[in-house]
Amino acid sequence: MPYYETVFIARQDLTDGQVKELTETLSKIITDQGGKVTKTENWGLRTLAYRINKSRKGHYVLLETDTPSAAVIEMERQMRLSEDVMRSLTIRLDELSNGPSVMMKKSKHDDDKQEKEAA
Amino acid sequence: MSESDSKQAARPFFRRKKTCPFSGPGAQVIDYKDVRTLSRYVSERGKMIPSRITAVSQKKQRELARAIKRARFLALMPYVNTEIDGGRSKP
Repeated sequence: MPYYETVFIARQDLTDGQVKELTETLSKIITDQGGKVTKTENWGLRTLAYRINKSRKGHYVLLETDTPSAAVIEMERQMRLSEDVMRSLTIRLDELSNGPSVMMKKSKHDDDKQEKEAA
Repeated sequence: MSESDSKQAARPFFRRKKTCPFSGPGAQVIDYKDVRTLSRYVSERGKMIPSRITAVSQKKQRELARAIKRARFLALMPYVNTEIDGGRSKP
């Protein structure tokens, strides 16, 4: 089954719990149609590079899936209908990535640097 | 056939680097999520830098362009950086 990677931006007003619920709802669509969600990452509330729908921040979530295309189409449709998802991008991958994505690694990097500087 | 044209101003760009930073064994992968790497190939204004300056190969430049456009769509990178300094320089 093909591999897909989806990144979506949820509204700033949502709490972390609501973002998690949203992620789970979308993941459920995938698993219901026989797919697997191989990676879920919450990049947290990030500042956007420009304003989207008048908001400057959004919750970024990354989903990596191994699923039939029908499930992805359905998930995209749901994201389009949902008021909470501001923007989403789904890409097809040739192979699954190993380990956490660049975003997560970088935050650790910065944290380590800050610790070193503080010490 | 002299390169140094007296009419042109001093070339602001260095001599071309030999190899593409994304090709060859163990090279970096172009990923639209990797904003730090991508921002090295984008000017201060946010415009993409042409490959004749960065020495990226044609194929990788196309991939890079695709990744930058995706990052811009996801608001990880801006389309335009609002000018901070007073001077209106092109790149």
